[in-house]
Amino acid sequence: MQPPVVEICHVSKYFSKVIANSDVSFSVGKGEVVALLGENGAGKSTIMKILYGLYSAVEGEILIDGKTARIKNPKDAMSYGIAMIQQHFSLVFPHTVTENVILGNVHGWIRLEEHDRKVKAIADSYGFDIPVTAKVGSLAVGIQQKVEILKALYLNARILIMDEPTAVLTPQESETLMQFIKDFASRGNSVIFITHKMKEVMEVADRIVVMKAGKVAGIVDSRSTDEGELARMMMSSDLEPAVREDDTEAGSDVLSVENAVMTDRSGLRLLDGLSFTVHSGEIFGIAGVSGNGQDELCEAICGTSHLSSGSIRFMGRDITSESVRARIDAGIGYVPVDRHRDGMIGQMTLSENMLLKKSYGGEWVHHGFIRQKELDNYTADRIKQYQIKATGPDDSAHNLSGGNQQKVVLAREIDAGKHLVVFNQPTRGLDVGAVERIHHSILSEKREGKAVILVSTELSEIFALSDRIAIMYQGRIMGIYRNGELTTEEIGLLMAGVDYEKAQ
Amino acid sequence: MRKLSDTSFVRKGYADVLAFNVGAIIIGLVISAMMLLFLKKNPIDVFGTAFGRIISDKYTLGEVMVKATPLVFTALAFAFTYKANLFNIGAQGQFYAGCIAAISLSLSLGGRIPGFILIPIVLIASFAAGAAVGSFIGFAKAKFNANEFLVSMMSTYVVQALMDFLLRTSLRETKAEYLQTDPINPAAYLPGILPGTRIHLGAVLAIAAAVGVWILLYKTSLGFRIRAVGNNPDAAEHSGIKAKRIFIISFAISGGLAGMAGLTEINGVQHMLLQNFNSSIGSFGIGIAILANGHPIGIIFASILFGFLNVVGTTMGRIPGLNIPASIIDLIQGIVMLCVIVSYFLRGHVMQQREKKLLMAKGGSV
Repeated sequence: MQPPVVEICHVSKYFSKVIANSDVSFSVGKGEVVALLGENGAGKSTIMKILYGLYSAVEGEILIDGKTARIKNPKDAMSYGIAMIQQHFSLVFPHTVTENVILGNVHGWIRLEEHDRKVKAIADSYGFDIPVTAKVGSLAVGIQQKVEILKALYLNARILIMDEPTAVLTPQESETLMQFIKDFASRGNSVIFITHKMKEVMEVADRIVVMKAGKVAGIVDSRSTDEGELARMMMSSDLEPAVREDDTEAGSDVLSVENAVMTDRSGLRLLDGLSFTVHSGEIFGIAGVSGNGQDELCEAICGTSHLSSGSIRFMGRDITSESVRARIDAGIGYVPVDRHRDGMIGQMTLSENMLLKKSYGGEWVHHGFIRQKELDNYTADRIKQYQIKATGPDDSAHNLSGGNQQKVVLAREIDAGKHLVVFNQPTRGLDVGAVERIHHSILSEKREGKAVILVSTELSEIFALSDRIAIMYQGRIMGIYRNGELTTEEIGLLMAGVDYEKAQ
Repeated sequence: MRKLSDTSFVRKGYADVLAFNVGAIIIGLVISAMMLLFLKKNPIDVFGTAFGRIISDKYTLGEVMVKATPLVFTALAFAFTYKANLFNIGAQGQFYAGCIAAISLSLSLGGRIPGFILIPIVLIASFAAGAAVGSFIGFAKAKFNANEFLVSMMSTYVVQALMDFLLRTSLRETKAEYLQTDPINPAAYLPGILPGTRIHLGAVLAIAAAVGVWILLYKTSLGFRIRAVGNNPDAAEHSGIKAKRIFIISFAISGGLAGMAGLTEINGVQHMLLQNFNSSIGSFGIGIAILANGHPIGIIFASILFGFLNVVGTTMGRIPGLNIPASIIDLIQGIVMLCVIVSYFLRGHVMQQREKKLLMAKGGSV
C-alpha cells in the first residue's frame, strides 16, 4: 500500500505556560482534503505551523511519503512541496500579481512579460480570473487570497495548508474557494484546512480531524458524520442553542443615526450617509463583510471617532459631538471587535479591567481612592455569574482564554450600557461553547428592554439573534429588513454590493 | 490548552528577585575589584579598607543615605512616566528648575521667616518649578505629538542654560568671584535627623515621596488611569479616559518629583547653588528606576545601593598612599548596574524554563 503523503506521529509542543499540542497523530493521503476542526486555542494552527516549519516540535516526528522529514523552516517545508496560506496574507500591495508570485524565486535579469504569461497559465489552469499585471493592493480580498494560492501553485506545492481561509470572504467567494479545493485535490494533491465552521467541513472535507485542548479528539469520515456529532466532539458538553423569541412589539426610539458621513484624511467616505433607528427591546443586526464601515459606525456611536456630518441622537438627546465619557455616563455600552486592543488591559487584573469605565466616579471610587474590597467583591460576583474561568479578581486578564476574556468585557459593558449595548463581532474567534453563552447574554439584554446593536460577519449569528437586519456595504446600508424577509443568498448578494432588487 | 495558577510563582518570585539581585551586585563588585588589578593594587586590601572605614565610621555610613536621597527623587521621576509608557529623561533639568526655585526663595526669605514655614514653601515651589518644566514636555507631547524623549532631553539643556545665566546675574555671590550663589541662611537648612551624620529631613521626604507615589499609582483612581493609559492607550480612550490629559498630568508629577531633589540638595546638603551642581543624578535616576523595575519601594533600596557604591568609591579615593582615581566611582556603579540588568533577563529565562519543566512533568494529566 502507498504510504500517506503526510503523517504526523505523536507530535507535542509546549509553550512557556501552555501545552499547545499533546501527542497529535493523523495522516493525509494523496488527493485527500482533511479538515482540522476545533475551537479556538485547540491547537490547530500550532500543529500546522509545526508542519510548515514555523515552530519546532518538542516530541514526535513528521513523515512525508513514508520517510522521516526534518522540517526546520518554511524553506525546508517548501522543498517537500508544502505551502501554507496564512490567515493574514503576506503580499506586497504596491506590486503586481506576477511580481508577488515570483518574489524570492527569481534571480538576476527578470523578463516580466514571460513571467506574466507563466503565472497567467497557472491561473487559467484552475479557472482563476486574475489580472496578473494589476497591483495587488487594488484587488478585492477574495482575489488577493487567490494570489496567495497562486504563489503556492507556482512553487508546485502538492500539500496545501490553509488557515481559516473563509474568514474574510463573502459567501460567494467562499463558494469559489471550495470549488478550487475540490479541483486541486482531484489532481492528486492534498489539502489541509483549518476552520471552526462546520458547514464548510461537511461540504468539502473527505476526513475530519477534530481537535480539543491540544489533542486529537477524533478522526471521522465526513460521509459518516453530521454537524451534531462534530459539535459534541469539539465541546465538552451539549448546549442549548440560543433561541430568539418571536418578534416583540418595538419599543421607544433609543438611538437614531441620521445621514452619518465619516471621511478619512484622504477624503474617502468610510461612512456614506447612512440612517437608521434602534428601539428599546430590539436587536438590530448589522451584516456585512468586515471592513465595510461597521467598525467606523461603532466608533461613531461610542464616541471614539466623530462624524464629518450627520447626527446621532440617543434617548432624545443629540450626542453627535459629545465625549466618550459623556456617552458612557448616558448608558452606552460597547463591546469592541478587537478586545485586546480596545476592550481590556491584559497586564491588569480582572478587577482593574472592571473599573476601566468607572474610574471617574461611581461605587468603586471614593474621594479619588479605589475601594478595592467592593470592587473585588463585584468582580468575584461577575466571575461566578458569567462562569469566567479565572483564579480570582486579581488574576491578570492575559492569563484568561479568549472566551473568558470576552466574558469579562461583556460583563462590564452590559452593566455600563444601561440603555444601549453595541456588540461588534462579539463571538469572533471564540469556541462554540462560549458563543452560545454570549448569545444567551445578548438575548437576555433584549428581554431587559435594552436596545442592542449586533455587528457580525457571521450570517448564522445575525439570523439567530436579530429582529431587524441591516446590510452594510462600503459605508452604506444596502437595506434594512425584518428577520426572515431575506434568504442567505439574497443577503450574500447585498453583502457583495449587488442590489438584488435592481439586478432582477 | 491549560494555564497554571500563578500564585505559587509570584511568592517564589520575590525570593528569586532578591537572590538574583544580591548575586548580581556581588558579581559586579568582584568584577570591579578585578579592575583594580590593572592599577596594580591588591583589590582585597582596597575593598577591605574601604568597607572597614564605611562600617566603622558613622559619618561615612550616613553619607550613603545622603547620596541616596536625591537619587530616590530622580528615579521616581523616571518611574512615574514609565508607568504611563512615557519616557522622561529630563529629570536633570527638572532638578535644576527645583534648585533655582529653592535657592531663590531660600536666599530671599531665609532668616526673615522661621524655617518651619519657609521649608514647606520651598518644598511646594521646587515641586512646582519641576512640574512646570515637566508639564511643558507633556503638553508638547499631547498637543503636537512631539517626541517626549527629545523634548525632555533638550529641556535639560535649556534649564541648565537658564541656571548658568542666573548664576552670572541675579543669583551670583556678592563677592562675584565664582559662578555660585551666596550660602543660604542656616534658618533655611533642612534639619539634620541623626547627629554625627549629614542625614537630613530630605531622606524622610524621599521615603515619604516613594510611598506616596506607590499609593498614588496603585490605590487611587488617578494612578489607575495613568497605568491604564500606559498599558493600553486604546482601551483607555474607549473607556472615556483622555490619554493626552494623562500625558500632561504624569509629566507634571514626574517633573515635580525631580524638582523636589532641588530642595533636598540645596537646603539639605550644599546650602548654595553652583555650576554643574550634581550633574549626574538625572542619568543615575534612570538606571535606578530600571533596576527597581519602576517599583517605588524598590527604588528606595536601589538608591541606597547606589549611594553606597558612590561612598565606596569616594572612600577608596581617599585611602592615603594609594592614589586611586576618583573615576573608580563611575566604574563600580557602571559595572554593578550592568550585572543587575543582565541578571534581570537571566532571571526571566530561568523562571520560564522552570515553569516549562513543571508543565512537562504534569503534561500527561492535562
